[in-house]
Parts: sequence; C-alpha cells; structure tokens
Amino acid sequence: MRTRRTGSGGTPSWGALIALLFAAPVLAQEGVEFSIQTDSRRVGLEDVFEVTVTAAGAPADAQILLPGSPDVDIVNTRSGTHRSISMGSGAGPSIRTVRTVSLQMRAKRTGTIRLTPAVLALGDREWKTEALQIEVVRGSVPGRRRPSQQDQDPFAGLFPPGLLDQLNDFPVPRPRDAPAGPDMPGVHIPQREADVFMRTLVDSNRVTVGQQVTMSVWVFSRAEISAADAFTLPKAEGFLTEEVDAPTQLASQQRTIDGVPYRAYLLRRRALFPVKAGELTIGPASADIVTGYLYAGEKRHRKSRPVTITVDPLPPGAPPGMAPMQVGQWSVALEASRTVVELDQPFNVKVTLKGRGNVRGQTVPKLELKGDAFRVFEPKVEDQVDTPRGRVQGSRVAEYLVIPKRTGTFTLPSLSYPYFDPETRQYEVARSDPVQITVVPGRGGGSPVAQDSTQLEEPRDDAAARNVLGQQQGPRPIRVTARFESPSPPIYGRRWFWPAVFSPVMLLGLLAFIQGPGRSLLGGRKGDERRTLTRAAHRRLSAAVKLKDSGSQQAFLGEVEKAVLAFLTAQLGSPAQGLTQQALEEKLAAAGIAEPTRARVHRVLETCAMGRYAPGSGSAAAREQVLQEASALMDGWSRS
Amino acid sequence: MTGTWYTDQEAHAVFREANEAHARGELDAAAEGYRKLLEHGAAGPDVHYNLGTTALAQGRLGSAVLHLEAARRESPAADDIAANLALARSRQLDRVVGAPHPGSITERLAHVTPLEQTGVAFLIIWGMGFLLLAARRLAPQRLRLALAVGAALSLVVAVPLGLLVANRAWVDANVREGVVMVKAAPVRAFPSESGSVEFEVHEGLEVRLLEQSGGYVRIRLPNGREGWTPADGVTSRNWTTGGGSPTRGSARHGSSSET
Repeated sequence: MRTRRTGSGGTPSWGALIALLFAAPVLAQEGVEFSIQTDSRRVGLEDVFEVTVTAAGAPADAQILLPGSPDVDIVNTRSGTHRSISMGSGAGPSIRTVRTVSLQMRAKRTGTIRLTPAVLALGDREWKTEALQIEVVRGSVPGRRRPSQQDQDPFAGLFPPGLLDQLNDFPVPRPRDAPAGPDMPGVHIPQREADVFMRTLVDSNRVTVGQQVTMSVWVFSRAEISAADAFTLPKAEGFLTEEVDAPTQLASQQRTIDGVPYRAYLLRRRALFPVKAGELTIGPASADIVTGYLYAGEKRHRKSRPVTITVDPLPPGAPPGMAPMQVGQWSVALEASRTVVELDQPFNVKVTLKGRGNVRGQTVPKLELKGDAFRVFEPKVEDQVDTPRGRVQGSRVAEYLVIPKRTGTFTLPSLSYPYFDPETRQYEVARSDPVQITVVPGRGGGSPVAQDSTQLEEPRDDAAARNVLGQQQGPRPIRVTARFESPSPPIYGRRWFWPAVFSPVMLLGLLAFIQGPGRSLLGGRKGDERRTLTRAAHRRLSAAVKLKDSGSQQAFLGEVEKAVLAFLTAQLGSPAQGLTQQALEEKLAAAGIAEPTRARVHRVLETCAMGRYAPGSGSAAAREQVLQEASALMDGWSRS
Repeated sequence: MTGTWYTDQEAHAVFREANEAHARGELDAAAEGYRKLLEHGAAGPDVHYNLGTTALAQGRLGSAVLHLEAARRESPAADDIAANLALARSRQLDRVVGAPHPGSITERLAHVTPLEQTGVAFLIIWGMGFLLLAARRLAPQRLRLALAVGAALSLVVAVPLGLLVANRAWVDANVREGVVMVKAAPVRAFPSESGSVEFEVHEGLEVRLLEQSGGYVRIRLPNGREGWTPADGVTSRNWTTGGGSPTRGSARHGSSSET
C-alpha cells in the first residue's frame, strides 16, 4: 500500500517510485518527492516490520526526521543513496539523487500503533509523510519473519548512543520527539590531512578495572583507498587485549563527519581490559594509506591520536576470594561425566566458568576434594572465546581426571566464584550446584564363580514338573554333630617331638657305651681289626713267595719283613713298624710273648736286614729258609 | 582365649544350643555359641564350618572365609566345606586381576604337606632306623648285613620326611596369610594416615601379611600388589593345627581374638 502527496510545482520522479510496494504520501515540490512505506500493516509482537522513507531530488543538506513511536523498538537502521537518470521531454536527461532510510521495527505492545510522520526539512521548508498505523497482534503473523542476527545493526552496542547514527553517509535525523545530538562527538575533520585521517575510537572513556573497552582503529577518507600498509597497532600498556575483528580486506562504509561524507575503513578492533586503576593511555596507531590504484595511487602516512581511558578501581566491599580481574557477568557449573562410578575407574569432572568479560583472564575455581576418597589429577583447561557484537564472552573449562579410591556416596562441594558486575556495579557470587558421586565396587567374582557349584542354573523346561529340584542355590546347611579337637600346637611344636627325634640317637650311643671299648659305635669289634691285619700280613707273605724265585733279593726280603711287621702290629695292637730291635723285643716281652717266639722274630728280621744290606748273601736256600721261618712264626703264633 | 576349656559334654551342649539358635534364625546367637566353643578349646572342622556358614548367612564374608578355610585345612575332602567356601569367595567384591603370585617352592611344598601325618611318619621311621642299628650291634654275624640295610633304608626315608616337617615349621613361622575382615579398607602407600590411598580391599579378600608398622600391616595381593592397611581390618589365618582362633591385626605378633 502506498500513499503519495505531491508538492506544488514539483515534477514526479518515476524512478524513485518503482521500488515502492505500498502507497505512501509523497510530497513533490520543486522536484522533491518524499514518501513512506511499510511492508505490512498487521504484524505480531514477535515480528519485525520495515518502514522505508524515501527522499528523491532532495538537496544534500536536507534533514530527514524519521517516524517513531514509544511503542516500538528500532531493531536496525539502513540507509542508502542512489542516483536515477530520467529523460525529460525536450529538456534532456535529468539526474536525481534518491535517499532511502529503512527502519526495522518491532512493536512493544498489541493494538494499533501510530507512527509519527516522517519529515524532510530544508531550511524553513518541510515535507511530511502520513502517519502510519500498524495493527499489532500477539505472537507472530504467518509469513512474517522473526528478528535474526542479520537484522541486528553490526555497530549496535559498539559505540555510545548517537555516535553510530552520526557515522551515516548523510545526517540521519532522529524522530521528531528525540533530541538532536551533537554531530559526531569525538570525531571531527582535522584541519590538516582532512582528506585522509586515522582515528582510534573507544566505546567508553571511563571504565572499572577489568571492564571491557572496545577499541577500533578507523581510517576515514574522502577518496577510496586501496591499501593500508605498515599498520602499527597502538600500544595499550596496562591492558589485557583480546582480538575482536581484524579485517583482511579493506571494506568501506559510508559515514558522515561534520556533515561531510567519508569512506570509513576498519583496520582493527580489539577488546581491552584494564588491569590497574588510573589514567591509562592508548597510544597512536599508524599506517601508510594508499589511495587510488596503480600509477595513480598515492601513499600517505597517517597516525591516530592517543586516547586516554579513566579506569576506576573496584569499589570496596569485595567478597572473599575476589581477584581484580574477576569482572563481568559469570556463572560457574560443576559437572561429572558419571555420577555412579566403579572403584578405581576414572571419570571426568568439569568446572565450567561461563559468561561475559575477559575469559582468558579468569581463574577457574579449583576442584578441591578433601579426604582420601578421590585422587584428583591436574586439570586440562580449555577456553572458548567468542566476540559477538564486539563483546568478549565465552567459557573456560577445567577438566579434571578423578579416580575414586573409596566406595560410598560422596558429594563434590559447590564451587563459588565472586565477581564484580560493571553493569549493576555490584559484587556478585556465582555458585555451582553440588554433585553427588556414588562409588561402587568393581565388578568381581568372575572366574571363581564359574566354578562354584552353587551357581544358578539356566531355567529349563521343568516347569511342568510338580516339584522342581534344582541345584543348591545357597550355602550348604550347618552340621548337627561335631567332633571336637582341642587346640594344640603343630607336631613340631609339641613337647615330645624333639625328644622323640633325638632319643634314638642317644640310645644308640648309650648302647655303644655299655658294650665298652671292644666295639665301635656302629658295632665293629677290635678282634675284627686284628684279623683284618693278620690277613693282610698273610697276603704279603704270599706275595713274597712269588718273589722268591723271580724277584730280586731286596724286594723279596722287604716283602717278608713287611709281612712280619704287619703281623706283629696285628698281634700287639699297636704299630710295630719303626721300632728298634730292642724296643720291639721289650714290647713283645711286655705282651707276654714266649722267648722262643721272640727269638724267631729276631732271626727273621735280622735275616731280612742282612739280606738287604749284604747283596749276594741271599742264596735260594737262604731265601727258602727265611720264608719258612716267617711262615712258621705266623702260623705258630696263631696256634699259640 | 580363656584358660577354661569345655568338657566334651559341655561342648556338645553349647554346640547343640548354637545349632538350635541357627535353626530359629538367630544367627548372632548361633555365631556366638560357635565362637565360645573355639574360645574354650572345643575346636575342629565342624565348629569352624558351622561358624563360617553362619557368618556367610550373616553376610560377614571375612569371618566366613576365615573359618571355612580353617575347616577346609582340617578336613580337605569335605564337599560341603568346599561348596560354602566357594560361595563365600564368589560373593567377595574384589576381583584381583593379573597372574597370581606363585610363591616360593618352599611355600607351595608346605601347603601340600599334611603336617600331622608327615611328622608322625618321620618319627616312626626315624626311630626304626636307629632301632635297627642297635639291633645290628647285638645280632649274630649272619644278620648284621640285613639289619644294616634295613637301617639305611629307614634313615633314607626318614630324612626327607624330617625336611618336610622342618620346611613346614619354617613357613609357618615366616609366611603369614590373612583375611580382610572389614567392609572396606583403604590400602595406602605408606603406613600413615598421610599416605596416599593406592587401592581399596573389601571384606573376605585373602591377602599375604608381610610386616607390621604401628597400626598398619603391609599386605600383598595374590597378583603381587602391595600396600599398607590398618591392622585392625585384617585377621591372620595362621591358626594352629587342630583348632584355635585366628589372630587379628598382626603379621607376626598378633594375639587378640577375631570378633
């Protein structure tokens, strides 16, 4: 729907009317056409509707006062300018400038809302549109669109109210009932370098410690620029910084400064968080600005002005645990990956700090679990930072690995995080909900149970039976009779054990003692030894017989002598070897040996001695004689 | 353990009363009766079995394992003891993962040695060997060789039996096993409250007791894992042959009664 009102003497500009969807009042006076249109007369509370004001053929210094109402919110504002060429009859082509301002609005109440008329003012002359009436219903009207992120003004919230409007390419008048503000406060065309100049803009010159200041570096140019080389960021000592926007390509926006249209190029936008109170200065930025292209280009070095920020300290009355950088709006959450865990099985506990402010400058509350029920490892901290609409926000997550060491039910205590809210200028404390963890023992009893005879059977098709007797399912019954045993030490600890071990040995020794010295401990007799020696003496004498004819005299006599001495050793019970003749005689006499026998011993040993030291004296007959003497001695001895 | 021992008649009376209490479902009274029998010198596999079975019904796995194992040692072939012991172990919460620690050959040998029978056999054969030696001294010559051979054979058999008894005595004196008697016991890296908790053991788990320090005892699981746990939560099961009460909380010197 469109209404049109034509001023006196004006010629209609058809080019400006082509895009109009609804009829609107149009003023046409001296070539000026001024109209208003809306895309819907009936909207819902949740809908966004658009009102477009068009001024065609208006002079550049004409002011447009936009329609408005206290019952609507202006969600977004767009403006543009284009030129139309119309071919008049006989007067040649005429060029007209068409300005368009689009307001996206959303109603605040139901009913009929009346928008004030748009006004085009030029000096003392005014052109007015009609006052639009919009019917507003609850909810949303089918076919209408709801507000989206794209509908939001990208500059909304970045700059103080009023400053954004003044960056338009032509003065965008406020609604008539709104006071007209100063033109571009803080940004003015410099006396020198007016064609191209650089400015550092901040959204606030007075903040609190830790509160965000958004800094933007702009280049304003009357002509289009092709490059900004050697860009140097301003020094911001005393601030922590977070990148918000760093365009990789220059994109121009039409802005008006002191009534002069400029092309504005954003070079960098950063969020600054002051870490101390006082007057903090953001230093100048600089860049080499290139205007024009190729050989027509011109490079100009430009530098912005320093900006001073007044940083107020945090007010007194901070709660315990408050740190200077805990500023913004924060919430803290405690979350466990599982609330029922098995003993010794690790699980994760996340402490999430979320909100607006310097995300990376915050310290996540530490998860402290007292006691020995859990083993907590050092956390892994991850940040997620976003900058929608230039405001830094996001989350900081500390993820702990926790291993339960005790069974039972435990409570992870609530975590608190104090902070200062710069919007309400009050201290707040964010708290998490406690989390209850139940630790159960690990699954056990695997393989041993499989061998358990009491394990339940699989159900079988025995249900039809009247009395199904399955295997034993519980413990076996107790015993009703008992055989009692007195506690006693192990057999090796009983008193009689060691005597029983050693008594046989002692008894054997006692028996040997009783039997006297005639027997050895193991039962041997001394007579046995004598017999053994006697037999050995006879064996030597037999060996001497073999040497009588074949061997030498010395060997023969030596063997006879050894046989006799061995025999005497056996009979006397003591060694006879090595004794002198006299000593042997005395020993034989002491042993009660008769004189004839002692004489025979003497003869045999004398014969052997002489034969060994007087070679040649031993004939065969002599050998036979000494052999017989020795044999007679040993045989006769034994017989006696 | 008290110094007053029950007569056989008294023991049977207490045993019967405990059984009747068990039949009425008064498990605490039944367990108390069986425990009195042990304290007054009326032990044996039947008492241990009934006490272990009652503890199993009460859900006291530690006492159940302790006494059923005692009954099994004294009566290895009884299938009711084996069944209830297996049931108690299957209800134990801990699952020991990993290859079990095999133990030394002396320990394994001691575990399979029937001490009483081995000791008696050793004494008989040992004595017979020396008896044959003595007889050889007095016997005529023609019998002496046979007696000597018999004595040598007897001693050859007796000496290994004696070594088995000695090995069992050494293992009993130096290797202690125990059972966790509390619902859950933390096992720490050091014998102190400040020691970090390494793991947790639960009632009925059978462990090796290595040493004691203050109120803590160092335990070793069958898979070799070790740590310190409060001594009052573990009971040694190194009871004496033929009965007796196990000792609680002591690796080497414990003497207090299991409760």
